[in-house]
Amino acid sequence: MIVRTPLPKKRRPEATGNSDSPNSDGRFVIFEDLPEPEPSHQHSDQMLCTYQCRQLVKADFLDALGSAEKKSQDYQSKLEAMDSDLRKSEAERMKFRDQLLYAEQEVAAAKGREQALQDQLLKEVSESQERLRKQIHIHSELEVKFRKEMELRKKAESLLSSAEEKANLLEGKLSHVSESIEREKVRLQKELTQLKQESKLSMERISADLQRMECKASNSEKEAAMLKEQLENLQTKLNECLHEKNEVEKKLSTLTHQEFPSDDNILVKHLREELRNYESEVREARKWKASHEDIELLREKLLEEKGCRERAESEVLKLSEAQINGKKLEDELSSWKSIIKDIPGVTSAADIPLKFEALQKEVLEGMMKMGEVTARLKQVEVALDVAENTRQNVETEFALTNEKMELLKLELKRTELLLSSTTEERDRLKIVVDQLKQQKTVEAGGAMTDGTVKELEASLAMKEDLIKQLESSIQEQKDVNTRQHNEIKLLNERLSNESRRIKSLEREDDRLRSEIAILESKLGHGDFSSASTKVLRMVNSLAVDSEAKQTIEALQNELQKTKDKLQAIEELKKQSGDAGTLVDSYISGKVVQLKEQIATLEKREERYKAVFADRISVFRRACCELFGYKIVMDDHQRSDGIPVTRFTLQSIYAQSDDEKLQFEYESGNTKILGNNYTQQPDISHQVEIFIRKLNSIPAFTANLTVESFNKRTLS
Amino acid sequence: MASKTASKDIITLRGSTAIVSEFFGYAANSILYNRGVYPEESFGRVKKYGLPLLLSQDEGVKTFIANLNTQLSEWLEAGKLQRIVLVIMSKATNEVLERWNFSIETDSEVVEKGVSREKSDKEIMREIQAIMRQIASSITYLPCLDEPCIFDVLAYTDADVAVPFTWTESDPKLIANPQMVKLHSFDTKIHKVDTLVSYKNDEWDEQ
Repeated sequence: MIVRTPLPKKRRPEATGNSDSPNSDGRFVIFEDLPEPEPSHQHSDQMLCTYQCRQLVKADFLDALGSAEKKSQDYQSKLEAMDSDLRKSEAERMKFRDQLLYAEQEVAAAKGREQALQDQLLKEVSESQERLRKQIHIHSELEVKFRKEMELRKKAESLLSSAEEKANLLEGKLSHVSESIEREKVRLQKELTQLKQESKLSMERISADLQRMECKASNSEKEAAMLKEQLENLQTKLNECLHEKNEVEKKLSTLTHQEFPSDDNILVKHLREELRNYESEVREARKWKASHEDIELLREKLLEEKGCRERAESEVLKLSEAQINGKKLEDELSSWKSIIKDIPGVTSAADIPLKFEALQKEVLEGMMKMGEVTARLKQVEVALDVAENTRQNVETEFALTNEKMELLKLELKRTELLLSSTTEERDRLKIVVDQLKQQKTVEAGGAMTDGTVKELEASLAMKEDLIKQLESSIQEQKDVNTRQHNEIKLLNERLSNESRRIKSLEREDDRLRSEIAILESKLGHGDFSSASTKVLRMVNSLAVDSEAKQTIEALQNELQKTKDKLQAIEELKKQSGDAGTLVDSYISGKVVQLKEQIATLEKREERYKAVFADRISVFRRACCELFGYKIVMDDHQRSDGIPVTRFTLQSIYAQSDDEKLQFEYESGNTKILGNNYTQQPDISHQVEIFIRKLNSIPAFTANLTVESFNKRTLS
Repeated sequence: MASKTASKDIITLRGSTAIVSEFFGYAANSILYNRGVYPEESFGRVKKYGLPLLLSQDEGVKTFIANLNTQLSEWLEAGKLQRIVLVIMSKATNEVLERWNFSIETDSEVVEKGVSREKSDKEIMREIQAIMRQIASSITYLPCLDEPCIFDVLAYTDADVAVPFTWTESDPKLIANPQMVKLHSFDTKIHKVDTLVSYKNDEWDEQ
């Protein structure tokens, strides 16, 4: 506070005396001879001129005094008001000064803050720009990598697709080739069977020919024998004839020598002619015989030739077929060769499987590469995502900082405005102060105000020092604050890191939990690895029918035997009285035991029967569903005592109950039995065809099923 | 019962084996009774693990479980048994309806070196008692077996185990998409037995 020296009160009358300004002219105008102001006692001396005057003067003076007093009071009140005004203005001035100082302080602080914020912002902006640049750089690098990866992937995919295509082509070819091979095989087999059949046929034909030839040969032999016989007869006849001729010649000679030579000669001549005729006949007969033999030979030759011709024709046909086959095979061979030529790196057929293996390997490698590439791609995508996220973060940070900057700018402007307003106000106040100072100097003289001003200035300087100190302390506080802020930031970062770690741990925890759940479910489900575990069960868990039945039978037999024994013993007991009592007790115990066993075994048998009944009913139902017939089985005995099993089949599509088929089964043979249904013309026709001729009951029943199904559905 | 050495809380491999195989016998009987695989009248009441338990009086079942326990003991002692599964199947269709899964973890050190472990009998009995109680209470949530059923026992052993004469390799008789309920487990410090029942999903529940 500025100490203000109050004005001494005693000066007031002086002041009033001194304040004989031109304003107070004419108050004591009656003393015109006194231009100079006189002390008050002199006035009273002068006023003692006359009584009247005195009275008048007194009255006037009193009036004047009253008015002067009033005026002085007015002036005093004015002075007081002015004083209070001054005090107020002083206080206001102080206030304004304080405000000004505060504003200046604030301005300075704001400037400092602004500077710091600007620096920080600049730093942040530069950092973010750098980060952005880095991110953009990384982004571009990643993009390049991504493109490369994509290219690689595309390449790999194209390789894969080409490999797959190749593989498909090769597989197609392989399948085609295998099909053609199969077809060829089938065809060759057919040919083989055909040839076999043909060879059989030709064998048969040849054997028939042989038989025929043999027959012919035997016939011709017989003929030859006959002809030989004829020849021999003829020879004998000829011999006889010659003999007769000789005899006749002899006779003739004798006769010619004896009588009728001329006639005889004639006769002889005739006879000779006849003889010649006979001879010629014989020759002709011989010729005929030879020609006949020739004809036979020629016939045989002809037959042989015919056979040869047929064979040759068949051979020609075969030859043509073989030529066609050869051509086909050549074509296939050429196609194969062309395929082999088409396949790169294959010189012979043996290389194809190797090539296949190599291609398969290539395909696998391609797949693996593709997998790797996709994995890398995913990694890159993840990295890209991360980069994108960071970029977005940076952008948001950037935006935030920009906003901050804007805010700070706004604040700055506001503070500037405030500053300007405060300076204006300060100036105004200064003006006011100056005015006041001037007034003061005018009113009370400058000496006192100068002192106060000096005091005020000194106090101002002190205050400025104080302000400076405060500013420095504020600066320190700010530094501390920034340090603490930094520490808080670091702690926040740590906190965020920790929270991230916690989140990742939580995620891992979830993953592990899910894994555990999966494993537990697997375990509960009963999964196991066959490499390390074996699942075993007891062979005879509780029921093996046959064994149990056998034991039941054995026990029943034993029971029968023991019963017999018991009977025998009872008989003996009757005979021997007391002797059997011991045996009796033993046997009764045994019997009880056996009975118990029998009871349990019978129970078991009942259970087996129940199980069997269940199973057989399932089987029957399944048979009925699968083959379309309800089968009823019952055993019969024929009149001759042989047991037979009769099966009655009824189709599930049967339109009446009479539609039944009956079969008799006896030691592996099944016969159909006639009934009203099978005697129907269409059924009996089918029975005739399928069972009697083709000997197939399943075909018959199946055909019947289809027919009844059609009837049922169509009707 | 477990054979014990001088100290009371020492348990050996043989003792642990005996406990586990005996537990399995009682558990199987309890399951057969509670799930109604065999008629109620074919069971007799005994007291075991501080509980009234029921044992089948059917000779077939008795001999079956006795034979089974002999073999299981052999495997348990050799540390070759991984799991025992009691399978309940439909008698008519052989469809698997329930699988009572007893997973066994054996302390390999005990099997290899023959060392013993420490655990009191009382504690083991208490653990087994809890399982028995759970088996008895399983009828509250397991679907009703309203058809005649049969049971079979599967043993999951190590792959190198020679198949005994009376045993044969089997399929695991799994249930497709089963419901599972994990029961308590007990630990002898040599054998740890986890119990789990999986059963066929009841269609009515899903609808």
